Amino acid sequence: MDYNQTFANEVYEKVDSGAEIKVCMQCGVCGATCPLRGEMKYGPRQIWSLIRAGRRDEVLNNPDIMLCTSCYTCKVRCPRGVPIMEVMHGLAHYALAQGIVPRAETAKFGKAFWEGIYDTGRVDEAVVPIKYCLQDGLVAGLKKSLGMMDIGLALMKAKRMKPKMFIPPNIFIPGVHKIKGVKQLQRMLDKAAAIDAAKEA
Amino acid sequence: MDYFLYYGCSLEGGGVHYMISAEAVAKGLGINFHEIEDWNCCGASIAYIGGTEMQSIVLNARNLALAEAQGGYDIVAPCSSCYIMLNKVNRELQAHPKLMEQVNGILAEGGLKYSGKLRVRHILDLLYNDVGVEKIKAAVKKPLTGVKVAAYYGCQTTRPFGEYDSCENPHTQDEILAALGAEVVEFGHRVKCCGSGIFLTEIDKCAYLVKDIIESAAAGGAQIISTACPMCQMNLEIYQQRVNAITGANLNMPVVFVTQLMALAFGADKDSAAALNRLVVPAGPALQAVGA
Repeated sequence: MDYNQTFANEVYEKVDSGAEIKVCMQCGVCGATCPLRGEMKYGPRQIWSLIRAGRRDEVLNNPDIMLCTSCYTCKVRCPRGVPIMEVMHGLAHYALAQGIVPRAETAKFGKAFWEGIYDTGRVDEAVVPIKYCLQDGLVAGLKKSLGMMDIGLALMKAKRMKPKMFIPPNIFIPGVHKIKGVKQLQRMLDKAAAIDAAKEA
Repeated sequence: MDYFLYYGCSLEGGGVHYMISAEAVAKGLGINFHEIEDWNCCGASIAYIGGTEMQSIVLNARNLALAEAQGGYDIVAPCSSCYIMLNKVNRELQAHPKLMEQVNGILAEGGLKYSGKLRVRHILDLLYNDVGVEKIKAAVKKPLTGVKVAAYYGCQTTRPFGEYDSCENPHTQDEILAALGAEVVEFGHRVKCCGSGIFLTEIDKCAYLVKDIIESAAAGGAQIISTACPMCQMNLEIYQQRVNAITGANLNMPVVFVTQLMALAFGADKDSAAALNRLVVPAGPALQAVGA
């Protein structure tokens, strides 16, 4: 096999925690402990191998890099101390930043979740699912949200969710709480993003 | 005993019964919880999808800076994901002065500064180590005699740091439940993951995780599962019908917060304090022995 270090170097330099995989000794404990390894084509160990083998497209398009539940089992058990979860998150984030979407639904939900944080400072569990659904467009989005209605109604009945009205793209009808310092928070987040953009460039 | 209670977004929404019962427990044990004024979301485990690494650090650093300025008590996070995010960033900032300097440069946009003095702790840590099992036992007015409970820890309650309990074989929640008079059953899946933040969007895969966890608890004889994480409580409880439809299982297991069982055992009201009326799967049948 022709080994090309270009992609490995790209991962070491540009992916958050990417350089940590240099010490991996390919033992496979990560995959063996992963709760969703059975649902993946490749576990973390094999993904690191593909990175070392220069298989850029295969790695960044691989849905397995975005199937991490963030349970930290692999990180706790890795004998070489590789923060596997952080590398996996780094790879998924890096793929998304390149316009690649390894897992469409989780990517949409994560986007809605982040927008909630950025727009208001907190996540409103009644609004995020609506924003998640509406990314499919109005008709498909409404259909999707109707499919989740049983859960919403059960939570409302248990007084664990307040009904919220929402109009796309970003206009809320009363009830959405913004933290007082949301403007300052946004300035901080913009500045942080600029620092990371300089690193990834 | 004074602490900041970092509510987190879940405790304002789907995990409101955690907050209600935690406050009732605090009252019973002489703990004063203070809110961090104007706190923001921690980003949780899926912040990486929309946000960058530094943004995730800044979200948590802002909360740490606010808490430091507002009194500097230990921050207690009932939500395991909040606990891990705040704790991880706190440890990184404390260990890396250069990062701290860079982050303080960003926090200055809001007139804030963090010096690294705080501790971030999980509520189980507070209950087990600061309050202690003996004091909890002494506060019990209605022992949970005859209630068979499985103590579920999940992931982020103890992993990855294992600061106050073992990552592989935790015991704090088991001991607290035993102090309430409940019978804590054998439970092989106590530290297995429920699917966490990707449960809903990858439900076809994660449904099997929940099925295995609940069936493992039931196999040990549990009538009810106790947890100390709002994500676990939600994933294990509210999707049981869907999990049944996907996996062919037949789940009907009440899942409550450890603080709900504590409030009940302390003799507080089952609904206004223990918040049992906030459950989707009713806990009444499992708690019949104690008249709930």
